[in-house]
Amino acid sequence: MRSFRLLILVIIGLGLLLIAGCSRYHTSGPTQIIYWTGWSGHELEIQRKLVDRFNATHKDIHVKLLSVFGSYQKVTIAFAGGDTPDVLSAVWADQLAGYAMRDALTPLDQYLKASNRTSSEWAPGVWQMFQYKGHTYALAATTNTSFIAYNKDIFREAGIKSLPRNIAELDEAAAKCTMYDSNGRFIRYGFRPSDLVTWAYVFGGRWYDPSTGKITANDPHNVEALRWMASYSKKYDIRRMQGFESTFGSDQSVSGPFFVGKKAMWQTGEWVDQYVKRYAEHLNWGYFPLPYPPGGRPNAMSLGGSVFVIPAACKHKKEAWEFLNWICGPEAVADFCEGIGNVPPLRAVAESPRFIKKPLFAFAGNLISSKNAFGAPQMPIWPTYKQEIARAEDFAVYGGQDPKKLLDAIQKKMEMELADAMEGRK
Amino acid sequence: MKLADPQSDRPRMSRSAKRDLRNGLLFASPWIIGFSVFTAYAIAASLYYSFCRYDILTPPHWIGLKNYSRLIVDDEVFRRSLWNTLYMVIFGLPIGLVASLALSLLLNAKVKGIAIYRTIFYIPSLVPAVAVATLWMWLLNTDIGLVNVILSKIGIMGPGWLTDPKWAKPALILMGLWGVGGSSIIYLAGLQGIPEHLYEAAELDGAGPMQKLRHVTLPMLSPVIFFNLIMGLIGSFQYFTQIYIMTNGGLQDSTLFYALNLFNRAFVDLRMGYASAMAWILFAITLLCTLLVFKTSAKWVYYEGGASK
Repeated sequence: MRSFRLLILVIIGLGLLLIAGCSRYHTSGPTQIIYWTGWSGHELEIQRKLVDRFNATHKDIHVKLLSVFGSYQKVTIAFAGGDTPDVLSAVWADQLAGYAMRDALTPLDQYLKASNRTSSEWAPGVWQMFQYKGHTYALAATTNTSFIAYNKDIFREAGIKSLPRNIAELDEAAAKCTMYDSNGRFIRYGFRPSDLVTWAYVFGGRWYDPSTGKITANDPHNVEALRWMASYSKKYDIRRMQGFESTFGSDQSVSGPFFVGKKAMWQTGEWVDQYVKRYAEHLNWGYFPLPYPPGGRPNAMSLGGSVFVIPAACKHKKEAWEFLNWICGPEAVADFCEGIGNVPPLRAVAESPRFIKKPLFAFAGNLISSKNAFGAPQMPIWPTYKQEIARAEDFAVYGGQDPKKLLDAIQKKMEMELADAMEGRK
Repeated sequence: MKLADPQSDRPRMSRSAKRDLRNGLLFASPWIIGFSVFTAYAIAASLYYSFCRYDILTPPHWIGLKNYSRLIVDDEVFRRSLWNTLYMVIFGLPIGLVASLALSLLLNAKVKGIAIYRTIFYIPSLVPAVAVATLWMWLLNTDIGLVNVILSKIGIMGPGWLTDPKWAKPALILMGLWGVGGSSIIYLAGLQGIPEHLYEAAELDGAGPMQKLRHVTLPMLSPVIFFNLIMGLIGSFQYFTQIYIMTNGGLQDSTLFYALNLFNRAFVDLRMGYASAMAWILFAITLLCTLLVFKTSAKWVYYEGGASK
């Protein structure tokens, strides 16, 4: 019997400990704000310094930073359980509409207004990716551009005088830069397009029409873009090209084909600068915007990345906003973007001397303000849709399947999924 | 709920028996609570959700059999992932079973230093799945991978193991063979349990090594083979970790296995209802296959006690 009582005592004791451990908020002192981020490593360290600076300058708020890098399911599960952190930057722009539609996020409109922050501060494509059904649900501290980096030495050797501006010129430059040995094996190649989402925008297409709420997967321009991408597989024997590519490390590694001079053109973003500095200091390289076909869009891009949100379940919204407003404000954005080598999504910051003194950032800052930079479509099933688009790209580029048929199939499937998701919702 | 009491014809439980029952239940309660909350409830809930549209952020909404009909009628990716998984069951599983059996026969040999060999072959199965996956990504790399480098030394141009849709699944089967040490140990235990006198008797009857294998070893080992077959079957249907790390579905869905597809549905698409329906279909298929194997087992599994029910 004695041991039995002891057991009961132990159970009660454990229970008490558990309850004590659950009390997240201090009863006195500064309001504690829990902030989850998806950044890791070097980027996390810079983010941590910013949080420390915020804490030092805001005595009534204490922000606690936690990285959920690599375990993003945790975010979804936190939303499901209603036990979310107060501020989150581990949400992708792609997922925003899905969360917003399900009322999982706090609309920021009134806070933005109270803090005198306006849409004009942001590049238009970036601002668009914060929106769902006329409300703003997120802000961002970073985003990425996309353009083509090229190897100047290879261009000179291949006799390319001017940078490609349209698709025909790009194809020509790619062919000129490609070299084979006597056995027909690649020694070097010019270019290989990837990322259909982006190229569809370049070709004048789009994936979703927000005005009608309709899926536009099989837009003729999208089909045309995919046809063009697949044309590289026929022209260059995709298997061989792939085999050749795999002799190198991944694109962002020290043995990446662009860094070792085996790929003349690489579709990339401004973050490449850091990697060049790290891995290929002496690489003689330049950049130009994505070339486009007649009737296509100049400076087209698809923007994305992680965004900052305040979950609907947050209990200290005022304080959470104060932090979010600061971390996505000019001071923090400038330091963070400079530290991690990203183009700032805030126009004033992007155009500040600190950034435009570097030619690449002047170029990228210009790109990001392009009217043809598209944020993630404001539709709840975009993550799924995007996966399907990547799948179609795969089947067209590697499997030689018909682009029109593939995109028609996506159209049908996504219409069905969208109808399912929207059923009985606002 | 009434607890089944084997001695229910007895009028009453004595005081001490009651106390024992209470204490017993109390001591088992962490497990009982854990099981009912984290397993039984979860299973029941997933069955319910499989008839719902459920995105985990808003309450589930009953839609009847729509998830199931959508899966079976409209979902091409579902069919592809099911086929990929069946491929592993049909081709990968038997190859693995034969290989581990063969290995265990070798490891059962009475040679000097056998313990060292056993250790060497067992070690790979101690390596965590994630590490194995990463290691094999390097080994199977098209151009710098050790596998293709060795093949090229003997004049064979190796395929793009993980990148070529035709080769990706065979590559995974090959990779699986590396870890057969785990099931070999189970076979080995079975082999050690075969009485020596059976072999002696067979030898007296003039049996050669092959006949001994065919008529003594295999029948005596059949319960272990049966066990490994069932476990392998279930494992193959749940194939996930390696592929999640290595290819995440691979080119043209060539390595999109059922469990990975299910995971994507649940956590990328937030379609928990749909994913639950997939889980129940997988459960039904696994159950069916296991039952089939059980049914046939009477014909080939030999239990020493004669209790081959």
